[in-house]
Amino acid sequence: MMGQKQKPFEEILEKLNGKKKIVLMGCGGCATIFRTGDPVAIDNMAEKLEKNGKEIIAKIKLPFGVFCCYLPMSSQFLKMHEKELSEADAILMMSCGDGTQAVRAYLDEEMSIVKPIFSANNALGFVGEGPANFIEKCMGCGDCILADTGGICPLTQCSKGLLNGPCGGTTPEGKCEVDPEKDCAWLQIYRRLEKIGELDKFLKIREPKDWGQATRPRRLSVEPIDLMEKLKELKATLESMGV
Amino acid sequence: MAERVYSNLMRELKAGKFVFTGELEPGKEGSIEGTIEAARKLLGHVTACNVTDNPQSFGCVDSLAAAHKIQAETGMECICQLRCSDKNRLALLSSVLAAGVLGIKNILAITGDYVSLGDTPDVKPVYDLDATLLTRMIRRVVDEGKDLRGGEIRNPPKLHVGVAANPGSAFLDMEVYKLKRKVLAGAEFVQTQVVYLPEVVDNFFAKVKEVGVEIPILIGIFPAKSYAEAKFFHEQVSGVTVPEDYLAKLKETKEIKDKEKRKERIDQINIDYFTGFLEHLKSTPAAGCHIMAVGYPEIIPELKKVVG
Repeated sequence: MMGQKQKPFEEILEKLNGKKKIVLMGCGGCATIFRTGDPVAIDNMAEKLEKNGKEIIAKIKLPFGVFCCYLPMSSQFLKMHEKELSEADAILMMSCGDGTQAVRAYLDEEMSIVKPIFSANNALGFVGEGPANFIEKCMGCGDCILADTGGICPLTQCSKGLLNGPCGGTTPEGKCEVDPEKDCAWLQIYRRLEKIGELDKFLKIREPKDWGQATRPRRLSVEPIDLMEKLKELKATLESMGV
Repeated sequence: MAERVYSNLMRELKAGKFVFTGELEPGKEGSIEGTIEAARKLLGHVTACNVTDNPQSFGCVDSLAAAHKIQAETGMECICQLRCSDKNRLALLSSVLAAGVLGIKNILAITGDYVSLGDTPDVKPVYDLDATLLTRMIRRVVDEGKDLRGGEIRNPPKLHVGVAANPGSAFLDMEVYKLKRKVLAGAEFVQTQVVYLPEVVDNFFAKVKEVGVEIPILIGIFPAKSYAEAKFFHEQVSGVTVPEDYLAKLKETKEIKDKEKRKERIDQINIDYFTGFLEHLKSTPAAGCHIMAVGYPEIIPELKKVVG
């Protein structure tokens, strides 16, 4: 999921300078996990903005599981708030930049609502683990090498992103010279390859990365899912689990 | 190892001589007269000198430019360090080709200290290649006249590539496997991180033998010119343990008020310590010794005089 942190409030306020009527929109996906776009975060933001003279004309709260970046779902909520969105001086997205830009494109192109819009959050990349502590696991390089590195990605776990590490900076405690709190990724890779009997993969020279696969923006085309079908599946699964 | 011999360093290593190399560190400066002077002092005492590339991630005079000037003005053969922290594969290739143009015959391929450890911690790090891949690239350029994608290089440069290793690593198995990988990539010689303890050298060579690394290895030493320098290595440099008695003796010199007398005493401490160390080194498979006496070139002839 996309890790994120809320920007400092002063920065948000500065970006809203000269804007009076504000629409807040959250996200029921990653931003809810990180408490940067859930209903409580939206209410807190609204209260602080109101204290600073802003008028919150709509709070678009997406329920958990509704990602604002996935327009087949989030656009339903945009349509419900067409009037307020049309009247707004600015839209403050409590989501990552991905969600913000998806909503911006939909408003521009499908609803002809062209407004100043920005994200209240700073996105910090794909992260995993949780529920409280998360760490970046994947950088989406477009050319996954986990099969050769014991299931540990050196591009994200090694501070230098070395394909043929470690460097000379592994501390005697097995940590990274750049961040003494962090385990040396290549020591972890070495030990894991040793455990699964694949140390030959450590000796193998990994060729230079094809960064052409990461030329931006990358595009994907898939057969769209049947949303209603998926929601029924989810409901049935939750019921079978007794949730 | 490449069949052809392009440098004095490789010639002497192939001849089985016990080879000494030194180290020069061009600084953050617009003139390298001091470095050239240091090179002159080492002439005749070492076979070649490393020229550092942005050491500890401080932006310094380009190692190729400095090495070219040192070679031209003093005749000292240089081993140009080339690190991956600051250059992508295009820029590294440019540097390797420039080395050919400038008459540089040896490159030490290193990954490089992380940029945040230097004086410009907000810089964007590169690491497009690592020491292994840089080694492979250099060998393809030199041996096959090809870049990493197979593109033709006319009149390829003629030079040798060395790599680094750390005998004092707390994870010696992994360290030597990594060295083996560098050898598979085409490394032709090794210069190690600083070592003070003879047993570290012995353990390293035992592991090197076990894993099957068969290129010449020069063991790095660092005669400290002050207590502070030795303490830095002991406390800050991964895998380096400085013996307590050596540290204690250097510490005592802080009490000597007279600068010249203090220096004499420090020289003597280094001669006493490293004489024994070098004698031990000569009994191991070491191909030589890399003396990293930056700013302390006068100690090298003294050490060699004792060792013979």
